[in-house]
Amino acid sequence: MKLETRKIPESEPEMVEIRYHWVTEEIQEIISFVKSRQGQLSAVREGKRYEVPVVDLFYAESVDDRLFLYTAADSYEIRMKLYELEDLLQNKSFFRVSKSMIVNLMKISSVRPALNGRFSAVLKNGEEIIISRKYVPALKQILKGGES
Amino acid sequence: MARQKWKELLIRTLRLYTLLVTLITVLMIVLGNLLDRNRVFGYDAFFSPLIYALIGTVATVITRSEKELSVRSLIVRKTVSLLLIEGAIILIALNADTIPTEKSQAVVSLALGVFAVFILTHIILYLIDKKEAEKLNADLSRYQEKQMNGSPIHE
Repeated sequence: MKLETRKIPESEPEMVEIRYHWVTEEIQEIISFVKSRQGQLSAVREGKRYEVPVVDLFYAESVDDRLFLYTAADSYEIRMKLYELEDLLQNKSFFRVSKSMIVNLMKISSVRPALNGRFSAVLKNGEEIIISRKYVPALKQILKGGES
Repeated sequence: MARQKWKELLIRTLRLYTLLVTLITVLMIVLGNLLDRNRVFGYDAFFSPLIYALIGTVATVITRSEKELSVRSLIVRKTVSLLLIEGAIILIALNADTIPTEKSQAVVSLALGVFAVFILTHIILYLIDKKEAEKLNADLSRYQEKQMNGSPIHE
C-alpha cells in the first residue's frame, strides 16, 4: 500500500483519506485506528458495525483471544488485542484491572474489598468486576495522581 | 510496578505476622489461665508466640497463589492452609513443655484456639482492606471530579 503524507497550511483542516478497492481487514484496522484517535471505536454487534464512543465504554475484556467492549447495556466485539486497545486508550482514564480486562475509571461507582486481598469495583450500571491484587498498587498510584 | 508489588506483599506479610503474634499471645493467656494456671515458665516462653506466628505466616505465604482464584478454589486453599497450621502447631505443642498436651482437653482447646485465631485474623485483615477501600473511594471521587472538570491528573 502506498503511503502519502502532505503538509498543509494551518487554514486547511487536517484529514486522513483512505483510498481502497475493497474494505479488507487491513483497511478496516486503519479505519478503526483513526476512529479510535477521534474518540470512537469501530466494533461489531450481531453482525452490524457500530461506532462506540470511548466515553460510553465501561470496560473491555479479552475472552479466548477475542476482545469485547461493554457499555452500560450492550456488548460489542472489536478486532484488536487487549494491549493494543490499552495503548490506544492511554490517558483516557482506562486502567488494567486484571490480565484480561481494562476498565474505565470514570464508570466506577465504588471499590470494596473482596476475598484474599483483592478489591472489587462496582460499576455505575451495577456490574461488579474484580481488581487483581497485582494491579492494586498501580491503581492507588493513578488515583493519587501518578502515571500508570 | 514490580517494586510496588513486592513492597505491598512485604507490608501484608508483616501485618499478618504482627497480628498473629498478638492474637496467639492472647490465646496463650486465655488457655493458660483456664487449663494450666499454676505452670511456671522461663524467659524462653516469650519465644512461643513468635514461633507459632512464624508458622502461621509461612503456611499462609506458601499457599498463596499469584493466580486469581475462584471463591471455591480460595476456600479449598484456605482450608489446606488452616490444616497445615493446625498440624504444625499441634506437632510442636506435643514436643514442647509449654503446653500440657497430656490433657486431651488442652489439645482440643489448642486446636479450637488456632481456628479462632485463623478466623479472627481474616476478619481483621478484611477490616483493614475495608479501610483501604474507603481511601480508594475518596481518591477515586477526587480523580473523577478532576477529569470531569477537564484538568487531567496525568498528561
